[in-house]
Amino acid sequence: MDYDPMVMDDAEALGPVVKISQADSVRVKYELSNSDIAFANSLRRVMLAEIPTIAIDLVEIEENSSVLADEFIAHRLGLIPLNAEGVENLLYARECDCDGCCEHCSVKLMLHAKCTGDENMHVFARDLVPVGERVNQVLGTPVFSDAEGLGPLILKLRPGQEVKLECIAKKGIAKEHAKWAPSAAIGFEYDPHNKLRHIDLWYETDAKAEWPPSEYASWEEPPQEGEPFDYDAVPNRFYFNVESAGSLPPDTIVSEGIKVLQQKLAGLIHELAEGEGDGMNGDYNGPRSPEYGTGADGFGGYTTPFGNGGNQSSWGGAGGTTPYGTTPYGAGQSNWS
Amino acid sequence: MGAIDDGFEALLEPFYNGKKLTDPISTKEDKYQLLPAFLKVKGLVKQHIDSYNFFVQQEIKDIVKANRSIRSDQEKDFWLEFTDIRVGTPTRNDYSDFKARDEVTPMECRLRDMTYAAPVVVDITYSRDRKKIVRKDIPLCRIPVMLKSAKCGLSGANNAQMEIMNECPLDPGGYFIINGTEKVILIQEQLSKNRVIVEADEKTGGVSASVTSSTHERKSKTYVILKKDRIVLNHNVLVEPIPIVIVLKALGGLSDYEIMELVAGGDARYQDDFLINFDEATKAGVFTQQQALEYVGSRVKMGGPKKGRSMAAPRRSPVEEGLDALANLIIAHVTIEELDFYPKAIYIAMMVRRVLMASHNPKLVDDRDFVGNKRLELAGQLLSLLFEDLFKMFVASLKGNMEYFFKKPNRTSAYDPVGPISSQGQYITQGLNRAIQSGNWSVKRFNMNRAGVTHVLSRLSYIAALGMMTRISSQFEKTRKVSGPRALQPSQWGMLCPSDTPEGEACGLVKNLALMTHITTNAEEEPVKNWIFSLVPGVEPIRMFTGTEMHRAGSYIIHLNGTPFALTRHPKQFASKFKTMRRRGHISPFIGIHINEHFSAIHIATDEGRICRPYIIVKDGKSKLKPEHLRLLQLKKATFDDFLKRGVIEYLDVNEENDALIAIREEDINHSTTHMEIEPFTILGAVAGLIPFPHHNQSPRNTYQCAMGKQAIGAIAHNQFNRIDTLLYTLVYPQRPMVITKTIQLIHYDKLPAGQNATVVVMSYSGYDIEDALVLNKASCDRGFGRCQVFRKYTAELQQYPNGRKDRLGGIQKDEDGRPITKHSCLDKDGLAVVGYRVHSGETMVMKETPIDQTSTGIGSDRGSDDFRPAAINYRIPDPAYIDKVMVSNTEKNTAIVKVQTRQTRRPELGDKFSSRHGQKGVVGIIVDQEDMPFSDSGLVPDIIMNPHGFPSRMTVGKLFECLTGKASVVAGRRDYGFGDAFRSHPVEEMGKVLIDHGFSWEGKDYFTSGITGEPHEAYLFNGPIYYQRLKHMVQDKMHSRSRGPRAILTRQPTEGRSRDGGLRLGEMERDCLIAYGASQLLLERLMISSDGTQVDICERCGLLGYKGYCQTCKSTSQVTQMTMPYGAKLLVQELISMNVGVRMQLEDKFPHPR
Repeated sequence: MDYDPMVMDDAEALGPVVKISQADSVRVKYELSNSDIAFANSLRRVMLAEIPTIAIDLVEIEENSSVLADEFIAHRLGLIPLNAEGVENLLYARECDCDGCCEHCSVKLMLHAKCTGDENMHVFARDLVPVGERVNQVLGTPVFSDAEGLGPLILKLRPGQEVKLECIAKKGIAKEHAKWAPSAAIGFEYDPHNKLRHIDLWYETDAKAEWPPSEYASWEEPPQEGEPFDYDAVPNRFYFNVESAGSLPPDTIVSEGIKVLQQKLAGLIHELAEGEGDGMNGDYNGPRSPEYGTGADGFGGYTTPFGNGGNQSSWGGAGGTTPYGTTPYGAGQSNWS
Repeated sequence: MGAIDDGFEALLEPFYNGKKLTDPISTKEDKYQLLPAFLKVKGLVKQHIDSYNFFVQQEIKDIVKANRSIRSDQEKDFWLEFTDIRVGTPTRNDYSDFKARDEVTPMECRLRDMTYAAPVVVDITYSRDRKKIVRKDIPLCRIPVMLKSAKCGLSGANNAQMEIMNECPLDPGGYFIINGTEKVILIQEQLSKNRVIVEADEKTGGVSASVTSSTHERKSKTYVILKKDRIVLNHNVLVEPIPIVIVLKALGGLSDYEIMELVAGGDARYQDDFLINFDEATKAGVFTQQQALEYVGSRVKMGGPKKGRSMAAPRRSPVEEGLDALANLIIAHVTIEELDFYPKAIYIAMMVRRVLMASHNPKLVDDRDFVGNKRLELAGQLLSLLFEDLFKMFVASLKGNMEYFFKKPNRTSAYDPVGPISSQGQYITQGLNRAIQSGNWSVKRFNMNRAGVTHVLSRLSYIAALGMMTRISSQFEKTRKVSGPRALQPSQWGMLCPSDTPEGEACGLVKNLALMTHITTNAEEEPVKNWIFSLVPGVEPIRMFTGTEMHRAGSYIIHLNGTPFALTRHPKQFASKFKTMRRRGHISPFIGIHINEHFSAIHIATDEGRICRPYIIVKDGKSKLKPEHLRLLQLKKATFDDFLKRGVIEYLDVNEENDALIAIREEDINHSTTHMEIEPFTILGAVAGLIPFPHHNQSPRNTYQCAMGKQAIGAIAHNQFNRIDTLLYTLVYPQRPMVITKTIQLIHYDKLPAGQNATVVVMSYSGYDIEDALVLNKASCDRGFGRCQVFRKYTAELQQYPNGRKDRLGGIQKDEDGRPITKHSCLDKDGLAVVGYRVHSGETMVMKETPIDQTSTGIGSDRGSDDFRPAAINYRIPDPAYIDKVMVSNTEKNTAIVKVQTRQTRRPELGDKFSSRHGQKGVVGIIVDQEDMPFSDSGLVPDIIMNPHGFPSRMTVGKLFECLTGKASVVAGRRDYGFGDAFRSHPVEEMGKVLIDHGFSWEGKDYFTSGITGEPHEAYLFNGPIYYQRLKHMVQDKMHSRSRGPRAILTRQPTEGRSRDGGLRLGEMERDCLIAYGASQLLLERLMISSDGTQVDICERCGLLGYKGYCQTCKSTSQVTQMTMPYGAKLLVQELISMNVGVRMQLEDKFPHPR
C-alpha cells in the first residue's frame, strides 16, 4: 500500500487551514480551507458522534416516591451534560480491569432529595453530587449553563416525596447513545454563492430576492456577471459552526474531533500496513464475510446448485440420481472440502 | 359556577393570546368567545348529563306517580301508595356504623371494583287497621350514578376538591362505573316517535304513511297504505288491513260528506281519488258506526296485548273489542277523552290526506334520513325505560308478596310493607346493574331487546374517551347494503360531524356529535298549549272545525308534537310571536317551531331527543351580538344563558333551521338573514377538531385521522398514574401541538396531548421509506422522542368458598439454599411481587393458592383435604416489565382483591406505527444515526424523514400548511401564529413573510446537506415541525414466530394466535399457490408433517379404522395396513360415522412395490 502522509512543512500551500471567526464558551465558528469535502464532512461526523465524553449510564435507585417512574428518571439523568474535561484519562468500562466499575472507568454521583416543605420541590442537576475518587476534580460534575447555576430540572417532588439514587457515569461515544454527544448542532456549509452549482436554485420570480444570502456570502467573491462555469472546480472552503452541548468547550470538540479522526485513520493505516506483510490472509481478526479465504483453489467457497464444480447439469449427474441427491449439501461432491 | 375551574377561564381571559383588555373588540373576530362560554355552561358531554339529571330528578318521579298505588285483591281495605321517590348521593354499599365515611368517590369504585351507585328512597302511605300510616325514606334500591351528574360527588367540585377525590378535572364524566369498569351508554339514533312519515314504495308505486305511537304503556305502529287506488289502515293488532272509510266511520258520528271533507277538503283532485274508498265500505256492508265497529272488532287479534284481562273479564263483543282497539291501540298517542273520537279521526284523516298528496306529488314524501326526522335516545331515556319496566315488576312482586301474606288464614300481625319493599327492591338494583354491565336492554312491555347499548369507555387516550362520549350508534343493520342511511345528509350540517365516522361496515351508521350540538330533554306541553291560544287572536282548537274549514286555503293547522291541535289563519304572525316569546324566556328555549308550507302546517316540537344548536340572532340585517356583549363576557359579567335570555342567541333544531337563513360570516348578512353562525368550525366534532387546516385536506383523510387520533398514545388524564387500567399507554414526553386549533383549546387537548412536534424533512432517503415508511433519527429516539410507557393490570381475587375455606397468598417455593426458585424470585414474603422488581416471562407476580377442597361441609367425616393448589398469576409476556404498583383491598363482597400493575418503557423501534394529524400513517422503516441524517446549514437535523410520495395522491395540503405555520411560529417564537382553525383563510403569505424575515425561504424549503457525503442535496427540502402521534400498534406486541409448540386438543393441529404461541396458517390461497406451482412435497410438509399427520390403522377389507393392527369390524389382522393421514381428516371420518354416515377408505398403492 502506498500511503502518503500529509506533508506538514508547507502548511500554507498544502495542509488544511483553519480561520476562526468567532469563539466563545458555547460555539466556535471557523472556516476550513484547503481541504476536500470528504475530510471536512468526516470531521463533522466525528465531532457529532465519536468524541468520547462522560454521561450517567447506570442508576441505582434506592428510594423513589416521586410521580415519575424509575427508568424515566434514569433516562433524564443520562441526558444531563457532565463535564468531560479529562475523559481521555478515563478508561472505557469495558476495557477496565475492574469488576463492574471503579474510579478509573467511572464517576459516581449521588442524588438525595426529599421534599419536607409545603411547596412542591424542584430537583435540579445541581443536586447531583459527585462522590468518591475521580480522575480529576471536574470530570463528571454536572454542567450549568443557566444564570442561576441550577442546571437542568430533573424532577419535581410533592411534599413528603423522596428520591435517593446513585448514578454511575461512564465514558462513551454518541454512536452508542446520543447522551454522549459533545456537540449540539454543527453548522456546515460551503460555496455560499453556489458557484459549483451543487444545488439547483428554485425560485418563483427571482432567486436572489427569495433566498436570503448565507452569512458566509461575504466571505467569498460573488460570481462575476457572465462568468463561465468551471465544471472542474471542487469545493475547498468549508464553514463550520460548532455548538457545544456543555460537556466539552467548543474548541476542545474541534481539537478532539481532529484527534479522534487521526486515531481512526492511524488505526486504518495500521491494519492495512499489517496486511501487507503476509498477503491477504493475514491474522486479520476483524469482521469479515464467512467465505473469506476458504478456498485456496480459486473456488471461493461459493457454489450454486447448478454449478457443481464441473460442467455437468445438476439434474443429470453421473450417477443418475435425483436432484435431491446432488445438491451442494448432499453426498457425492468431490470438490467440497 | 364561578368556583369551578374547568379550564375555560383561560380562554375567556381578555388577555388571552396577547390580546389586551383595552384592545378593540370586533364581533367578527371575537365572536368565537361565545364558544368557551357555551361549553362552560353546557360542557362537552352535557347531553348525557342533562338527560340523566332529567331522569333522576323528574322522570323517576313521574314513573312512580304513574304506578303509585297497590291494592290487595284479598283485603279490600288495604292500600299502599308511593308518595315520593328520591335519589340520594353515592354511598358505599358495604356501609356499616363503625365506618367513618359513607360517601364514596368514583376513584374508589374503580380501584375496588365497586359500582358507583346511590341509594333510592321512597315515601309511602298505607293503611293499617283503617288508619293511614306514613313512612318516609324507605330504601328501595340503588341506582348507578352518572359521573358529574347532579347526584355525583364530582358535580360542582373545583380543582382542589377534584384532586382530593383523585379525579381528573378534565375528565368529561357522563359514564357509569359498574363493578369497577367504566361504562358508557352510547347515544342511540332512532326515527322520531309520534310523527307521520310518508314513504313511497318504488316497486308497486304505492304510498304509505306510518306513525310509531309511543306511550308509557305500549309502542305500536300504524300504517295508512294507498294500494291500487284504495286506502287501507293497518296495525299490528289487526288481522288484515281495514278500508279507511270503515275506520273513519267507526270513529264516531261522521257522515260520508264529513269524512270526504276531513280528508280532501275542497280540493277536487283529492275528492276524486278518495271517492272510491266509500265503495269499499259499501261493499263490506258497513254504513253505521255500529257496523264499522263490528267490522273492526272482528278483525282484532285475540290475546296478544291483553292476555291478563281476558282471564278475569268475560269475553267481549266485537263492538267492544273494536272500540277498545281504536281507543287504546291504534294511534295510541292520541288519547281519547270522554269517548270523543274526533281528534283521532282528524289524525287519521290527516294521514290519509298526506298519502293522497304524496301520490299526486312524489316530492311530498318524507325522507327517513333527514336529521329532523330523527331522535337521539340518551342514557336518561334508556334508563327510564328500564326503570319503569323494573318498577312495574317490583310493584307486581310486592303485590304478590302482599297477597301471599293476606292469604294466610290467621295472621299474627298487621302487614308491614317496609321489609318487602327493600327486599324486592334489590331486583331493580340488579336489573339496572346487569343492563348497564352487559349492554342488553330488554324491556318487556315494548318487546325491546337491544344488545350493545353500553360499551366500556375506551381509555386509550383522552381523545378516545371523549370521542366515545359523543358517539351516536344507529339502529340500522350493519349488513344491509343501503347507502341512504350511511350517506352524509345536508341536514347534518352543524349537528353531526361530517368527518368523524369509522371506515368499513359501520361507516356512516356510527356518527359523532358536532361541537355545539345540544340534545333536548322533554318539555311540558301544557304551558305551550296555553301560549298557542294566547299569542294571536283567531287561534282556535282544531276540535271546533270541520274538514272544510281546516283545509281552506290560508288556514294553517298548528301541530303540537305531530298531533293537530289548533287552527290559525295567520301562520307567520303566529310563528314570529311564538319565537319572540321564546327569545324573551317565557317559553323554554328548546321548543322548536317551524312552518311547513306544503301541508299548510305549523309544527311545534317539545319532545326529547331533538338535535339543536345555538345561533346568533340577526334582525334587519344586523347581528344582535354587539361588542358590548363580548365585553361583558370578558368581564365575566354575563354567561351564555344571559345571552339566551336577552335574545342575542337562540337554539334552532333541524326543522326550524330550514325556516332560517343563516349567514356563515358577518359579511354575508343581508336584509333577509335571520341568523348567523357563532363559529363555522363548530360543524366539526371534538375529534375532527384536532386537525389543523382540515378544510385544505381531502375529505377521507380527515376521516382517517378521526379514527387514528383515538389510537394515539399520550396523556390520558391527570390522574392516570392513580388509576389501574387493564392496559394503559402513556407518552413519556407529550407535547402541545405547535399548530393548534381553537377546538383543541376548547377540549383541552393542549393539556392532555397525545403526540410530539417532530422536525420533519420531506425527502426520499435510503429506500427504507417506501410505502409510507418513516426514517427516524436515532439520536432523537435516544433523547426521548416517541418514548412511551405501557402499563398492564393483573387482578387476583381471593375468594371464599361455601365451606368456609378461602384462597390465600403465599407458598413461595425455595431451592436447596433456601432461596426462592427463579420463578418466585420477585415475590415478597406476602406472596406478592415487590414494587420496582423486574419480572420476566413465566415469573409469578401473585402467589395465590386455592384450597383443593371447596365442597365438603366439614361436618363429621365429610372433611376434605387441607392442602392448597397453586393458582398463581404469572407474567406471560416475552419482554420483561417492572412492577409498578401492587394494590390490596376488599371488594363490596368483602373478599380481598389484589391488583398488580406492571410497567414497560419502550423506545420506538422498527415497525412501530406513527401518524401525523392528516390521516398519514406510516411505520418506522429504518432508524438512522444522527451523523448520517441530512442537516441544514444551521446544523438542524430532522427527527423524521418522510417520503414525498405521500403527498400527491393523498392531497393533504393541510399537512403542508401545518408544517409551514409551525415553522413560522417556531422561528418567530410566536405561539399565536400556530393556529390552524377550520374554515378560516390561511395566512400563508404572512407566514412566508415571517420566514423570510428570519432568513428562511418563504415556501418553507431549506438547503440541506447530506450527512453521508457532505454535499448538498440538489433540491431544497421542505421541512418544519409536524405534530406526530405514536399509535398503539407496536411491533413488540405483535412480533411472533414458532418452530414447534402447543397443539389444539381436538384437532391436534397447531394452535392459532400469538397469545397461544400459535403457528402461522398456510391458508387456502397459499395452498392453491403451492398446488399451482406443483410444490407437492412442500405442501405435504406444511399440511401433514408440520401439522397434524397421524399414523392410523386401516382395514383394507372393510375400509374402516382399526386399532393396533386389528380390525374390530372384520375381527382380523390380515388386511390392516398403516397409513399417515391428517388427524383432522381422521376426526371428520369418525364424526361422520357417529352420525350414521358410513365412511370407508379404499386404499391403493400409487407406486406398487415391485415384487
